[in-house]
Amino acid sequence: MTRTRMRAAPVAVGAMVLVVGCGSQGTPSATQSTAPPLAPIAENPYASLARLPDWSGVWEPTFSPRPRARQGGPAPPKLTAAYAAQYAKFQQKNRTTPGINFVSDVASCVPPGVPQSMQEPYPIEFLFTPGRVTILIETYSLVRRIYTDGRPAPADPDPTYQGTSVGHWEGDTLVVETSAILPETSPLNGINGHSDKFHVTERMRLVKPDLLEVTTTRVDPAVFVEPYTTSSYYRRHRDWQIMEYVCQQNNHDALDAQGKPAFSLKHNPGE
Amino acid sequence: MKLSRWLPQVVLCSTWLALGPIASAHHSTAMFEWGKEKSLTGTIERYEWTQPHTFLWVVVPRGQGRTQEWGLEGMSPSWLGRRGWSRHSLAAGDKVMIVYYPLKDGRPGGFYVRVTTPDGHTLAALPQRSQ
Repeated sequence: MTRTRMRAAPVAVGAMVLVVGCGSQGTPSATQSTAPPLAPIAENPYASLARLPDWSGVWEPTFSPRPRARQGGPAPPKLTAAYAAQYAKFQQKNRTTPGINFVSDVASCVPPGVPQSMQEPYPIEFLFTPGRVTILIETYSLVRRIYTDGRPAPADPDPTYQGTSVGHWEGDTLVVETSAILPETSPLNGINGHSDKFHVTERMRLVKPDLLEVTTTRVDPAVFVEPYTTSSYYRRHRDWQIMEYVCQQNNHDALDAQGKPAFSLKHNPGE
Repeated sequence: MKLSRWLPQVVLCSTWLALGPIASAHHSTAMFEWGKEKSLTGTIERYEWTQPHTFLWVVVPRGQGRTQEWGLEGMSPSWLGRRGWSRHSLAAGDKVMIVYYPLKDGRPGGFYVRVTTPDGHTLAALPQRSQ
Protein backbone atom coordinates (compact mmCIF):
# COMPACT_ATOMS: atom_id res chain seq x y z
CA MET A 1 0.00 0.00 0.00
CA THR A 2 2.78 2.34 0.89
CA ARG A 3 4.44 1.76 -2.44
CA THR A 4 1.26 2.50 -4.35
CA ARG A 5 0.93 5.75 -2.50
CA MET A 6 4.51 6.68 -3.23
CA ARG A 7 4.08 6.12 -6.96
CA ALA A 8 0.86 8.11 -7.18
CA ALA A 9 2.39 11.22 -5.65
CA PRO A 10 4.85 12.14 -8.45
CA VAL A 11 2.08 11.91 -11.06
CA ALA A 12 -0.07 14.35 -9.13
CA VAL A 13 2.78 16.82 -8.75
CA GLY A 14 3.64 16.51 -12.44
CA ALA A 15 0.04 17.26 -13.41
CA MET A 16 0.04 20.38 -11.26
CA VAL A 17 3.19 21.64 -12.90
CA LEU A 18 1.67 21.13 -16.37
CA VAL A 19 -1.47 23.07 -15.42
CA VAL A 20 0.60 25.97 -14.16
CA GLY A 21 2.71 25.82 -17.33
CA CYS A 22 -0.45 26.06 -19.57
CA GLY A 23 -1.75 29.03 -17.62
CA SER A 24 1.40 31.02 -18.19
CA GLN A 25 1.39 30.62 -21.95
CA GLY A 26 -0.72 33.74 -22.63
CA THR A 27 2.15 35.80 -23.98
CA PRO A 28 4.65 33.39 -25.51
CA SER A 29 8.01 34.85 -26.45
CA ALA A 30 10.00 33.63 -29.43
CA THR A 31 12.39 31.68 -27.26
CA GLN A 32 9.58 30.00 -25.35
CA SER A 33 7.82 28.86 -28.51
CA THR A 34 10.92 27.03 -29.73
CA ALA A 35 11.67 25.44 -26.37
CA PRO A 36 10.91 21.74 -26.06
CA PRO A 37 7.72 20.90 -24.17
CA LEU A 38 8.11 20.72 -20.41
CA ALA A 39 8.61 17.19 -19.15
CA PRO A 40 6.63 16.31 -16.04
CA ILE A 41 8.79 17.07 -13.01
CA ALA A 42 9.15 14.04 -10.81
CA GLU A 43 8.62 14.48 -7.11
CA ASN A 44 11.86 15.17 -5.31
CA PRO A 45 12.63 11.70 -3.96
CA TYR A 46 13.60 13.23 -0.62
CA ALA A 47 9.97 14.34 -0.15
CA SER A 48 9.06 10.67 0.31
CA LEU A 49 11.07 10.64 3.55
CA ALA A 50 8.41 12.79 5.23
CA ARG A 51 6.17 9.71 5.34
CA LEU A 52 8.66 7.75 7.45
CA PRO A 53 8.67 7.70 11.26
CA ASP A 54 11.13 9.93 13.13
CA TRP A 55 14.08 7.76 14.17
CA SER A 56 16.53 10.64 14.48
CA GLY A 57 18.93 10.83 17.37
CA VAL A 58 21.22 8.16 18.73
CA TRP A 59 19.93 4.84 20.08
CA GLU A 60 21.54 3.20 23.10
CA PRO A 61 21.07 -0.53 23.66
CA THR A 62 19.10 -1.08 26.82
CA PHE A 63 18.15 -4.02 28.96
CA SER A 64 14.85 -5.62 29.89
CA PRO A 65 12.57 -2.62 29.54
CA ARG A 66 9.54 -4.85 29.11
CA PRO A 67 7.93 -7.05 31.74
CA ARG A 68 8.10 -10.20 29.65
CA ALA A 69 11.84 -9.80 29.14
CA ARG A 70 12.35 -9.29 32.89
CA GLN A 71 10.69 -12.64 33.58
CA GLY A 72 13.58 -14.69 32.30
CA GLY A 73 13.95 -13.48 28.75
CA PRO A 74 13.29 -15.53 25.64
CA ALA A 75 13.04 -19.30 25.58
CA PRO A 76 16.35 -21.02 24.77
CA PRO A 77 17.00 -21.83 21.12
CA LYS A 78 16.31 -25.29 19.75
CA LEU A 79 19.62 -26.28 18.21
CA THR A 80 20.88 -29.06 16.01
CA ALA A 81 23.15 -31.60 17.70
CA ALA A 82 26.23 -30.08 16.10
CA TYR A 83 25.64 -26.73 17.81
CA ALA A 84 23.79 -27.80 20.97
CA ALA A 85 26.99 -29.01 22.61
CA GLN A 86 28.93 -25.77 22.23
CA TYR A 87 25.93 -23.72 23.34
CA ALA A 88 25.47 -25.90 26.45
CA LYS A 89 29.15 -25.45 27.28
CA PHE A 90 28.76 -21.69 26.98
CA GLN A 91 25.66 -21.68 29.20
CA GLN A 92 27.42 -23.81 31.80
CA LYS A 93 30.43 -21.48 31.85
CA ASN A 94 28.14 -18.46 32.13
CA ARG A 95 26.43 -19.96 35.18
CA THR A 96 29.57 -21.04 37.01
CA THR A 97 31.77 -18.08 36.15
CA PRO A 98 29.81 -14.98 35.14
CA GLY A 99 31.80 -12.81 32.80
CA ILE A 100 33.44 -15.70 31.03
CA ASN A 101 32.47 -15.61 27.40
CA PHE A 102 33.65 -17.60 24.51
CA VAL A 103 37.04 -16.36 23.51
CA SER A 104 36.30 -14.67 20.25
CA ASP A 105 38.01 -12.95 17.38
CA VAL A 106 36.31 -9.70 18.33
CA ALA A 107 38.94 -9.36 21.10
CA SER A 108 41.44 -9.05 18.25
CA CYS A 109 39.26 -6.38 16.64
CA VAL A 110 37.62 -8.62 14.03
CA PRO A 111 34.09 -7.20 14.00
CA PRO A 112 30.93 -9.17 14.72
CA GLY A 113 28.50 -9.94 11.90
CA VAL A 114 24.75 -9.47 11.66
CA PRO A 115 22.85 -9.85 13.96
CA GLN A 116 25.39 -9.66 16.81
CA SER A 117 26.70 -6.33 15.52
CA MET A 118 23.33 -4.82 16.48
CA GLN A 119 23.74 -5.94 20.08
CA GLU A 120 27.05 -4.38 20.99
CA PRO A 121 27.06 -2.12 24.05
CA TYR A 122 27.48 1.22 22.27
CA PRO A 123 24.81 3.10 20.34
CA ILE A 124 23.56 2.99 16.79
CA GLU A 125 22.15 5.64 14.47
CA PHE A 126 19.73 5.52 11.51
CA LEU A 127 20.01 7.59 8.35
CA PHE A 128 17.06 7.70 5.95
CA THR A 129 17.74 8.60 2.34
CA PRO A 130 15.46 7.84 -0.61
CA GLY A 131 15.23 4.10 -1.15
CA ARG A 132 17.69 3.28 1.58
CA VAL A 133 18.20 3.06 5.32
CA THR A 134 21.75 3.19 6.63
CA ILE A 135 22.60 2.01 10.13
CA LEU A 136 25.77 3.33 11.70
CA ILE A 137 27.02 1.14 14.54
CA GLU A 138 29.47 2.83 16.90
CA THR A 139 31.17 -0.34 18.17
CA TYR A 140 33.77 -1.29 15.53
CA SER A 141 32.50 1.61 13.34
CA LEU A 142 30.26 -0.62 11.24
CA VAL A 143 27.85 0.37 8.47
CA ARG A 144 24.76 -1.51 7.30
CA ARG A 145 23.22 -0.50 3.98
CA ILE A 146 19.58 -1.57 3.68
CA TYR A 147 18.04 -0.98 0.26
CA THR A 148 14.33 -0.17 0.49
CA ASP A 149 13.83 0.75 -3.18
CA GLY A 150 12.16 -2.54 -4.05
CA ARG A 151 15.17 -4.26 -5.56
CA PRO A 152 15.36 -8.01 -4.97
CA ALA A 153 18.16 -9.44 -2.86
CA PRO A 154 21.10 -10.18 -5.17
CA ALA A 155 21.38 -13.81 -6.26
CA ASP A 156 24.89 -14.68 -5.12
CA PRO A 157 26.64 -11.85 -3.30
CA ASP A 158 30.02 -12.30 -1.64
CA PRO A 159 29.60 -13.16 2.03
CA THR A 160 30.46 -10.25 4.34
CA TYR A 161 30.31 -9.51 8.06
CA GLN A 162 27.21 -7.33 7.75
CA GLY A 163 25.73 -9.43 4.95
CA THR A 164 23.54 -8.10 2.15
CA SER A 165 20.31 -6.43 3.19
CA VAL A 166 17.10 -5.40 1.49
CA GLY A 167 14.17 -3.96 3.39
CA HIS A 168 10.68 -2.58 3.11
CA TRP A 169 8.32 -0.56 5.24
CA GLU A 170 5.14 -2.12 6.62
CA GLY A 171 3.49 0.99 7.97
CA ASP A 172 5.95 2.33 10.54
CA THR A 173 7.83 -0.98 10.84
CA LEU A 174 11.04 -1.48 8.89
CA VAL A 175 11.46 -5.12 7.86
CA VAL A 176 15.04 -6.05 6.96
CA GLU A 177 16.09 -9.29 5.28
CA THR A 178 19.79 -10.12 5.47
CA SER A 179 21.73 -13.00 3.99
CA ALA A 180 25.28 -13.70 2.71
CA ILE A 181 26.71 -13.31 6.21
CA LEU A 182 30.22 -14.72 6.67
CA PRO A 183 29.89 -18.24 8.11
CA GLU A 184 32.62 -17.71 10.72
CA THR A 185 30.57 -15.05 12.52
CA SER A 186 28.38 -15.71 15.54
CA PRO A 187 24.61 -16.02 14.94
CA LEU A 188 23.84 -15.86 18.69
CA ASN A 189 25.87 -15.20 21.84
CA GLY A 190 27.37 -18.57 22.72
CA ILE A 191 27.43 -20.01 19.20
CA ASN A 192 30.37 -19.64 16.86
CA GLY A 193 29.78 -20.14 13.16
CA HIS A 194 26.85 -20.99 10.91
CA SER A 195 26.18 -22.19 7.36
CA ASP A 196 25.85 -20.15 4.19
CA LYS A 197 22.06 -20.59 4.51
CA PHE A 198 21.95 -18.29 7.55
CA HIS A 199 19.20 -15.71 7.08
CA VAL A 200 18.17 -12.93 9.45
CA THR A 201 14.86 -11.07 9.47
CA GLU A 202 14.64 -7.97 11.64
CA ARG A 203 11.48 -6.02 12.38
CA MET A 204 12.26 -2.55 13.72
CA ARG A 205 9.64 -0.21 15.17
CA LEU A 206 9.02 2.32 17.89
CA VAL A 207 7.14 0.83 20.84
CA LYS A 208 7.28 4.15 22.74
CA PRO A 209 8.29 7.57 21.44
CA ASP A 210 11.90 7.02 22.54
CA LEU A 211 12.08 3.21 22.67
CA LEU A 212 12.94 1.21 19.56
CA GLU A 213 12.31 -2.52 19.37
CA VAL A 214 14.23 -4.80 17.04
CA THR A 215 12.82 -8.31 16.77
CA THR A 216 15.41 -10.62 15.25
CA THR A 217 14.58 -13.98 13.70
CA ARG A 218 17.44 -16.31 12.82
CA VAL A 219 17.01 -19.13 10.30
CA ASP A 220 19.72 -21.66 9.50
CA PRO A 221 18.86 -25.37 9.20
CA ALA A 222 22.45 -26.25 10.10
CA VAL A 223 22.18 -24.47 13.47
CA PHE A 224 18.55 -23.91 14.47
CA VAL A 225 15.91 -26.67 14.46
CA GLU A 226 13.30 -23.92 14.12
CA PRO A 227 13.55 -20.16 13.57
CA TYR A 228 14.81 -18.43 16.71
CA THR A 229 13.52 -14.98 17.61
CA THR A 230 14.75 -12.53 20.23
CA SER A 231 13.99 -8.86 20.87
CA SER A 232 16.41 -6.03 21.57
CA TYR A 233 15.59 -2.54 22.74
CA TYR A 234 17.24 0.82 22.22
CA ARG A 235 16.64 4.07 24.08
CA ARG A 236 16.81 7.38 22.21
CA HIS A 237 19.29 10.11 23.14
CA ARG A 238 18.65 13.11 20.93
CA ASP A 239 21.66 15.00 22.26
CA TRP A 240 24.25 12.21 21.78
CA GLN A 241 26.58 11.83 18.84
CA ILE A 242 28.11 8.64 17.51
CA MET A 243 31.77 8.53 18.51
CA GLU A 244 34.69 7.22 16.53
CA TYR A 245 35.65 3.66 17.46
CA VAL A 246 38.85 2.31 15.97
CA CYS A 247 39.44 -0.97 17.75
CA GLN A 248 43.10 -1.14 16.78
CA GLN A 249 43.84 2.27 18.35
CA ASN A 250 44.92 0.88 21.72
CA ASN A 251 43.88 -2.76 22.01
CA HIS A 252 45.66 -4.56 24.84
CA ASP A 253 43.47 -7.64 24.50
CA ALA A 254 44.34 -9.27 21.18
CA LEU A 255 44.29 -13.06 21.40
CA ASP A 256 47.54 -14.71 22.50
CA ALA A 257 49.02 -17.96 21.19
CA GLN A 258 46.51 -19.91 23.29
CA GLY A 259 43.61 -17.93 21.82
CA LYS A 260 42.90 -15.97 24.99
CA PRO A 261 42.90 -12.17 25.35
CA ALA A 262 46.49 -11.35 26.20
CA PHE A 263 46.12 -8.18 28.31
CA SER A 264 49.37 -6.74 27.05
CA LEU A 265 51.27 -4.48 29.44
CA LYS A 266 53.24 -2.91 26.60
CA HIS A 267 52.79 0.83 26.16
CA ASN A 268 52.11 0.36 22.46
CA PRO A 269 50.45 -3.04 22.28
CA GLY A 270 50.02 -2.97 18.50
CA GLU A 271 53.76 -2.73 17.82
CA MET B 1 7.20 5.62 50.73
CA LYS B 2 9.58 2.87 51.67
CA LEU B 3 9.26 1.48 48.17
CA SER B 4 10.34 4.78 46.71
CA ARG B 5 13.46 4.68 48.87
CA TRP B 6 14.75 1.26 47.97
CA LEU B 7 13.46 0.92 44.45
CA PRO B 8 16.18 3.08 42.85
CA GLN B 9 18.82 0.95 44.55
CA VAL B 10 17.25 -2.23 43.26
CA VAL B 11 17.10 -0.78 39.79
CA LEU B 12 20.72 0.36 39.95
CA CYS B 13 21.82 -2.97 41.33
CA SER B 14 19.99 -4.81 38.55
CA THR B 15 21.57 -2.51 36.03
CA TRP B 16 24.99 -3.24 37.45
CA LEU B 17 24.39 -6.97 37.30
CA ALA B 18 23.11 -6.74 33.76
CA LEU B 19 26.09 -4.67 32.67
CA GLY B 20 28.66 -6.82 34.44
CA PRO B 21 29.28 -9.30 31.67
CA ILE B 22 29.31 -6.67 28.93
CA ALA B 23 31.30 -4.10 30.87
CA SER B 24 34.33 -5.06 28.87
CA ALA B 25 32.86 -4.51 25.46
CA HIS B 26 34.88 -6.53 23.08
CA HIS B 27 36.53 -9.23 25.14
CA SER B 28 35.85 -11.54 28.05
CA THR B 29 36.45 -10.31 31.59
CA ALA B 30 37.82 -13.73 32.51
CA MET B 31 41.38 -12.41 32.88
CA PHE B 32 40.36 -10.26 35.88
CA GLU B 33 39.14 -11.19 39.32
CA TRP B 34 35.95 -9.43 38.35
CA GLY B 35 34.16 -7.98 41.40
CA LYS B 36 37.13 -8.31 43.80
CA GLU B 37 37.98 -4.73 44.68
CA LYS B 38 41.58 -3.82 45.50
CA SER B 39 43.08 -0.36 45.72
CA LEU B 40 46.36 1.38 45.07
CA THR B 41 47.72 4.89 45.45
CA GLY B 42 50.14 6.33 42.95
CA THR B 43 50.92 8.99 40.40
CA ILE B 44 49.37 9.04 36.93
CA GLU B 45 52.07 8.57 34.32
CA ARG B 46 49.83 8.40 31.25
CA TYR B 47 46.08 8.62 30.80
CA GLU B 48 45.07 7.19 27.41
CA TRP B 49 41.62 8.29 26.23
CA THR B 50 41.43 5.63 23.53
CA GLN B 51 39.25 2.92 21.99
CA PRO B 52 38.47 0.13 22.58
CA HIS B 53 39.48 0.88 26.17
CA THR B 54 40.92 3.74 28.14
CA PHE B 55 44.19 2.89 29.81
CA LEU B 56 45.83 4.28 32.94
CA TRP B 57 49.55 3.97 33.57
CA VAL B 58 50.31 4.59 37.24
CA VAL B 59 53.63 4.74 39.08
CA VAL B 60 53.19 3.17 42.50
CA PRO B 61 55.78 3.65 45.26
CA ARG B 62 57.19 0.38 46.60
CA GLY B 63 59.31 1.79 49.47
CA GLN B 64 63.01 2.63 49.66
CA GLY B 65 62.65 4.92 46.67
CA ARG B 66 61.60 2.12 44.36
CA THR B 67 58.51 2.27 42.19
CA GLN B 68 56.45 -0.12 40.08
CA GLU B 69 54.48 0.73 36.97
CA TRP B 70 50.88 -0.49 36.84
CA GLY B 71 48.67 -0.72 33.73
CA LEU B 72 44.93 -0.47 34.30
CA GLU B 73 42.36 -0.91 31.59
CA GLY B 74 39.00 0.86 31.83
CA MET B 75 35.77 1.37 30.00
CA SER B 76 35.90 3.05 26.61
CA PRO B 77 35.38 6.72 25.78
CA SER B 78 32.07 5.45 24.35
CA TRP B 79 30.93 4.60 27.88
CA LEU B 80 32.86 7.02 30.10
CA GLY B 81 32.44 9.98 27.76
CA ARG B 82 28.66 9.81 28.16
CA ARG B 83 28.91 9.65 31.96
CA GLY B 84 30.87 12.73 32.93
CA TRP B 85 34.39 11.70 31.98
CA SER B 86 36.54 13.35 29.34
CA ARG B 87 40.12 13.21 28.16
CA HIS B 88 40.78 15.97 30.71
CA SER B 89 39.46 14.03 33.73
CA LEU B 90 42.95 12.85 34.68
CA ALA B 91 46.41 14.08 33.78
CA ALA B 92 50.01 12.98 34.16
CA GLY B 93 51.28 13.93 37.60
CA ASP B 94 47.92 13.55 39.39
CA LYS B 95 48.22 11.65 42.67
CA VAL B 96 45.26 9.31 42.75
CA MET B 97 43.67 6.45 44.68
CA ILE B 98 42.34 3.80 42.33
CA VAL B 99 39.98 0.94 43.07
CA TYR B 100 40.47 -1.87 40.55
CA TYR B 101 39.80 -5.52 39.80
CA PRO B 102 43.19 -7.27 39.66
CA LEU B 103 44.56 -9.51 36.94
CA LYS B 104 44.35 -13.18 37.88
CA ASP B 105 47.90 -13.87 36.76
CA GLY B 106 49.49 -11.54 39.32
CA ARG B 107 51.03 -9.04 36.90
CA PRO B 108 50.74 -5.36 37.93
CA GLY B 109 47.53 -4.67 36.06
CA GLY B 110 43.75 -4.80 36.22
CA PHE B 111 40.52 -3.01 35.37
CA TYR B 112 39.88 0.32 37.08
CA VAL B 113 36.53 0.72 38.83
CA ARG B 114 36.77 4.23 40.32
CA VAL B 115 39.40 6.91 40.76
CA THR B 116 39.72 9.47 43.56
CA THR B 117 41.49 12.62 42.38
CA PRO B 118 43.73 14.94 44.46
CA ASP B 119 40.76 17.19 45.32
CA GLY B 120 38.96 14.23 46.89
CA HIS B 121 36.48 13.81 44.06
CA THR B 122 35.65 10.23 43.09
CA LEU B 123 34.91 9.34 39.47
CA ALA B 124 32.96 6.13 38.91
CA ALA B 125 34.31 4.16 35.97
CA LEU B 126 31.78 1.31 36.04
CA PRO B 127 28.07 1.14 36.87
CA GLN B 128 27.87 1.19 40.68
CA ARG B 129 26.36 -1.54 42.83
CA SER B 130 24.37 1.11 44.70
CA GLN B 131 24.48 4.86 44.89
